[in-house]
Amino acid sequence: MASAGSMAAAPFWRAAGMTYITYSNICASLVRSCLKEPYRAESASREKVHFSVSKWAGGKPEKPNFVPE
Amino acid sequence: MAMAALRKEGRRLVLSSNPSSFARSAVFSEESCPFGARSVSTQIVRNRMSSVKNIQKITKAMKMVAASKLRSVQTRTENSRGLWQPFTALLGDAPGVDVKKNVIIAVSSDKGLCGGINSTTVKVSKTLFKLTSGPEKETKYVVLGEKGKVQFLRDSKKSMELSVTELQKNPLNYTQVSVLADDILKNVEYDALRIVYNKFHSVVQFIPTISTILSPEVVERESESGGRLGDLDSYEIEGAETKAEVLQNLTEFQFSCMMFNAVLENACSELGARMSAMDNASRNAGDMLDRLTLTYNRTRQAAITTELSEIISGAAALSH
Repeated sequence: MASAGSMAAAPFWRAAGMTYITYSNICASLVRSCLKEPYRAESASREKVHFSVSKWAGGKPEKPNFVPE
Repeated sequence: MAMAALRKEGRRLVLSSNPSSFARSAVFSEESCPFGARSVSTQIVRNRMSSVKNIQKITKAMKMVAASKLRSVQTRTENSRGLWQPFTALLGDAPGVDVKKNVIIAVSSDKGLCGGINSTTVKVSKTLFKLTSGPEKETKYVVLGEKGKVQFLRDSKKSMELSVTELQKNPLNYTQVSVLADDILKNVEYDALRIVYNKFHSVVQFIPTISTILSPEVVERESESGGRLGDLDSYEIEGAETKAEVLQNLTEFQFSCMMFNAVLENACSELGARMSAMDNASRNAGDMLDRLTLTYNRTRQAAITTELSEIISGAAALSH
């Protein structure tokens, strides 16, 4: 599947609208979920995502957009 | 409550250029005591002393907290330097590259009380803005952190593109920063991304640094014109991917790695700066306390002496 995808004009994940960062993050979380306990719980703490982004238009911020996971 | 008091007092502690005049003025205002009162009340000086003492305790505690946090962040920062070094070895760093669409990413902190590191970032970013802007060029800001945002609000509102806060709620990790990097890449158009941050050198030294990340198209253009990037063609590309694809992946990954390092370096500098700022504040509070104690004791002693001489002279008048 993966090799078939990479043979195409663009890799399958880029065709799906992902960037390399998203793709590598998904792969990383897959690898982390393969770990045994207690290493898995430990590595899960390195996956926490929290910040708030607000886009600015015309000198004013729009509503902040939280990215929790 | 305690923090608000600290902030108010802390500013006085750090900013008042001549704290002795301040300490004295508190006493002088007391000396204009109501007519007929026997001696000066030292109540206000005593209150002032206890508040300074409390502030000193708080600043000392903050220094300890910053110091203990710094230790863990520092090792992680030093380890994260290994992430960008290969990229710089491969692609080089081109801070002077001249492109149309520039994005300046200013990394600052969410919390204050950490010396001048945020204003340094803002100053460097604004200079960079002036350098990169020109006719037919477009420069935008992406601001990380609350304190930097506030400073950009004053005169650079129009050029703000994105602002990010609350990054440091949890300990920083790569996943978080890479998701953020992804968000930034999706929301801005760029030819060059310039990350401005304070590089951690030692506990008392932070170097404002600019890391430049070029878009794949610019990398290609530059590599045709030779230079360090010209060597890119000597690499063999595995698989069926084209050079453009590889470069795009590489740029994205380079950006997220650079961001990770920049955010960590800045967090480390923030803690270091807070440590030395709080150390100074504690020392200033100590000096102030010394002066206050001196004036307090002197005033008290003066009152006692006055009373004694009154008693003695009264007794002397009676016995004659």
